[in-house]
Amino acid sequence: MGFYTMKIAVLVKQVPGTESPLPIQSNQNWVDEGAVAYVMNESDNYALEEALQIREANDEGEVVAVSLGPDRSQKVIREALAKGADRGIHIQLDTAGMIDPLVTASYFADTFKDENFDLIFTGLQSDDLGMGQTGIILGELLGMSTASMAMATEVGGGKIKVKRELEAGWFQWVSLSLPASVSIQSGLNVPRYPSLKGIMGAKKKEIKVVTPSVANQSQSVEKVYVPQSDKQTVMIEGSVEQIVGKLVETFRNEIKVL
Amino acid sequence: MPDFQFSNIEKIILTLGTIGCLGSFGYEVWRRFKIVLKGRESLPFDRLGVRCWRVIREVLFHEKVMGGRFWPGLMHGLVFWGFLVFGLITIDHFATGFGVPLLSESLHHAYSYFGIPFAILVLIGIIALAYRRFMIRPAPLGKTSPTSGFVALFIAVLMLTYIYGEFDLSPMVWKINWWLHTSVILAFLWLVPRSKHLHLVLAPVNIFFRPFEQPYHTAVNIDLEGSEDELDSTLVDLTRMTKNQVLDVFSCVECGRCIDVCPANRGGGILDPKNHFILDLRQPLLDQGNVDVLGTINVEAGWECTTCQACTEVCPVGNYVEKSDEIRRLEVLVEGKVPQEYQKLFMNLQESGNTEGHASSPLADRLPSYTPDMEYVLWLGCFARYGLDPNFTKSVENFTKILEVAGVSYGVLENEHCSGDPANRLGDKLTYTMLREHNMEQLAHAKKVVTLCPHCALNLEKEYGKYAEVTYRVFHHTQVIEQLITEGRIKVKKGSEGKVTYHDPCNLSRMLDEVDAPRTAIQASVDDFFELEESGRNTLCCGAGGGLWWKKETKGRTHLVRAEQVVASGADTVVTGCNFCFGMMNQGLKPLTPEGQTEIQVKDVADIVAENLVKIPSV
Amino acid sequence: MDILIVLEDSNGKIHRMGLESIVGAQKMAGELGLSIGALVMGANVDLLAEEASGLNVGEVLKVENELLSTYSADGYAETVKQVIEQENPTYVIFGHTYQVRDYAPKVSAKLMKPFIVDNVSVTTNGGNSVFTKLMFNGKLFSDVTPTGDGPYLISFQSAAFSSEKADVGSAPVRDCTVNLDVSMIRTESEEPFQEEAGGIDLTSADIIVSVGRGIGKEGNIPLAKELAQALGGELASSRPVVDAGWLPAAHQIGSSGQSVSPKMYLALGISGAIQHVVGMKGSKNIVAINKDPEAPIFEIADYGVVGDVLEIIPKLTEAIQ
Repeated sequence: MGFYTMKIAVLVKQVPGTESPLPIQSNQNWVDEGAVAYVMNESDNYALEEALQIREANDEGEVVAVSLGPDRSQKVIREALAKGADRGIHIQLDTAGMIDPLVTASYFADTFKDENFDLIFTGLQSDDLGMGQTGIILGELLGMSTASMAMATEVGGGKIKVKRELEAGWFQWVSLSLPASVSIQSGLNVPRYPSLKGIMGAKKKEIKVVTPSVANQSQSVEKVYVPQSDKQTVMIEGSVEQIVGKLVETFRNEIKVL
Repeated sequence: MPDFQFSNIEKIILTLGTIGCLGSFGYEVWRRFKIVLKGRESLPFDRLGVRCWRVIREVLFHEKVMGGRFWPGLMHGLVFWGFLVFGLITIDHFATGFGVPLLSESLHHAYSYFGIPFAILVLIGIIALAYRRFMIRPAPLGKTSPTSGFVALFIAVLMLTYIYGEFDLSPMVWKINWWLHTSVILAFLWLVPRSKHLHLVLAPVNIFFRPFEQPYHTAVNIDLEGSEDELDSTLVDLTRMTKNQVLDVFSCVECGRCIDVCPANRGGGILDPKNHFILDLRQPLLDQGNVDVLGTINVEAGWECTTCQACTEVCPVGNYVEKSDEIRRLEVLVEGKVPQEYQKLFMNLQESGNTEGHASSPLADRLPSYTPDMEYVLWLGCFARYGLDPNFTKSVENFTKILEVAGVSYGVLENEHCSGDPANRLGDKLTYTMLREHNMEQLAHAKKVVTLCPHCALNLEKEYGKYAEVTYRVFHHTQVIEQLITEGRIKVKKGSEGKVTYHDPCNLSRMLDEVDAPRTAIQASVDDFFELEESGRNTLCCGAGGGLWWKKETKGRTHLVRAEQVVASGADTVVTGCNFCFGMMNQGLKPLTPEGQTEIQVKDVADIVAENLVKIPSV
Repeated sequence: MDILIVLEDSNGKIHRMGLESIVGAQKMAGELGLSIGALVMGANVDLLAEEASGLNVGEVLKVENELLSTYSADGYAETVKQVIEQENPTYVIFGHTYQVRDYAPKVSAKLMKPFIVDNVSVTTNGGNSVFTKLMFNGKLFSDVTPTGDGPYLISFQSAAFSSEKADVGSAPVRDCTVNLDVSMIRTESEEPFQEEAGGIDLTSADIIVSVGRGIGKEGNIPLAKELAQALGGELASSRPVVDAGWLPAAHQIGSSGQSVSPKMYLALGISGAIQHVVGMKGSKNIVAINKDPEAPIFEIADYGVVGDVLEIIPKLTEAIQ
């Protein structure tokens, strides 16, 4: 019987909301975080829900929500706790301009040294940086097997089966032995909303704060800028035949879809 | 009627039968009444005069029974009035059985000159109703009901036996007839409390106790700093019905008028207010003997409701039908089961204080800021502030133009957050609390608030008022425009806009009880105005209420039913008084307009008035 | 070699994005004066090697190993890592495919060297390479540079370069060996499969042909459908078309439908109401055809035609076929 304590870590990140303003700092190499409205990264929400469902299917288990970032990151840990995570870990660090997943993953790996997680779930990628690597690197650093873009998971018998999303509507089931680190694709489940009891209860749950020393990045941002949208609409004119001809040419040569 | 004697045995049988059936009747009524008493809050006794008058209008004069379904309503009226007429006769009938008749022979005979014609009317009534129910079988009445069959039979037999009893009969025949009549009455007594015919007793009571405010949603007080016990008791309360609500369930006569008017049902959704909001609760109440049964409401149906209160408005026995608030708040606060598009909505409200998650509003920036010396706070609402329909921005500007021409000072609040209507109607009472507390602080120095959005208007005064004292008065912009017109502070000439009609927003016409102000304004501005079907307090909701504006998938086309009516009406212009109605008309009319027909113009009341303003020359 | 290109198998042919990365590598090589090489592996390694040898890729490294006959993250990552250690390139270039996203981060972790991903372009100035990628929900560009010593792993976004521009040439094939043990491979994969097209996932379509009320009537929808098929794209619509019952709700794009950002969004007879625009404004190329020159759609379109969609669509379909 698969009756063992499932320990699952879920990495949750605070990212700018889709409608948030993104003013660029004067030195141009990052955004002015003070003016940004932050929310939980979308695919992390799905990862959290998946972890909670697995814990609910096993009678025993623990879901730990972990976030790396400055003080404001505690908000998403609290959100995860309100939804049902058992405890939280906050790796407190000023992450402005920090884009290197090797460094990020190392912080997590360090913090998880003594935790012995059976599963690590991460969102597929963060909506702000879009690196999509932290979970896999973390798994590799901890000696776990890894898989990405899970559209479904099945846990049992010391293994996790993951339905990987491939291109063009193809999928593949992969079986990994535990412990494993899996990145989760949005849409695989229906995330819950925190209940009132959950929100109140979250206040009492533990969030351990650790402050690591800063490591050097192996890739860094030189500058961020708004894409030059010289969006001059090119009007295509003429007779119907001429228009059709020009459209085909545009499709072929400019847009490159033919 | 000859003075026939009843033997002692007969009197004993009669006594036993009467006591037995009366007892059974009493027991069943008492059983249900006990459950009512377990309900939350108290039955209201305020405004006694109005309540009594309402009972007279709706019960005696059958105002709602005949409204909407005139002929069946009238037929029912015949049966009902007959019931009243026969009250005295029936008591006399039983008294006779005990040997102590109330009416003398001559009085009884005189009464029959009145009674027999009435009995015939009752027969006509009950036969017509039975024909409708069993031969025509309209859908809202539901499955064919055997109890209805018995009741029809009983009433017919009672009338026939009464009439027959007035003839010259031999003692034997008279006795048999008498006993037949009596048995049917006793059987009736037994049947009534066990069926929907309990409405005979409960409807007048229910109508008397009916709350005055629509919608009837209890406040959900959440104290985040409270203890766990307080929270638990709040959560348990969410499952418990109020006394009024329980009384409603037992009073329901299953007529299905609520289904007829439900926009979700008419749009092809699964929502059936009669069953989902009322009858489904009946058995759980009786089985549990208690009122904590709100969790049994069908969740999917609950999410389809637009909270328009049409069901409540039309109910002839005084029910407050709609229960979407009750089931949604359970799903959100207790279960955490919220459709994804609403989760995003709630997050936006929590993080940014508005439904869209935006940081700023170009419209708000353009308008003057409120200072306490100004007459009105112009409350914009998220729809206008964040351009949910860009065309509506012009409507707001038209309203400010009207105010300026009239010399009325106004300003917008810098820190206006969403009034909270979407959170409130969708069950997220926690987010609603946050928004409400913020807004009340912002409005602390306001005296008068005017808004173009009836949802905001309803929340700012009436809903907020359920939680705390509201120190300002809230007006809908059509009310202010009407006042300006009647006071002569603006002059409007009748322009020609083709055939113009008005769609009553449900929040304005029913819940804020305002149907005249917009009409005054429109009729001052156009020369060809006509009424849509289902207008005024009977308006058909545009489909955007109850937070459904933000719903992604709609099973069915709730939002198109009203648009279809507008297209079919032949109007050139449809005027509305609500930004959601405005947006829905814009979305709905286009695909439904047949090819070749010119598109129907959609305007707000502010637009049509501003377009026809006569500039007052400055003195 | 200085630049190692890792090519991916697409049913026995080089994956389109592999060809695109060759173009990117050739650009960098030309500008920085570097040598290039290409790595092929997997079950169809012979076919891939042959195809690669006909391209201007310097040399082709061929890794044949039974343990690579089915894809596994462990197997591929370990292989690439070992080849990198053998060949010592400065840059290792991938196309940003689903497969690469699955195993390349492991290579990065094994070597503790950076993986700079999903780049839309690369500029070389004075011997340094600067990679440009989108960040912040696609709203901002960022220029990223590697720090420290190489090798640097790089992936390019789909269509950052055009696969047609891959120069032909002749590249010798060299066998390469790696040490793989079955114990290194900790996963078991089943055969890939396709799911029934139940819901229509417009979000993964590269080309979308979308119709609005300007299509006129239900009977004209097949015209648009044919055009979509000719382009190899998906059919979508704005809300009024769904409301009118001309298409099922699964096709709807907008605030109450799906949000998409395909390579090309062809808006036919769509006015550009905000409820629709919010669902497609992220599209890389918007082509709009509408008979109303004032239609708001033209404000966000890259290419616009003021004309009758019913005249243009059939002729356009014909010209493409």
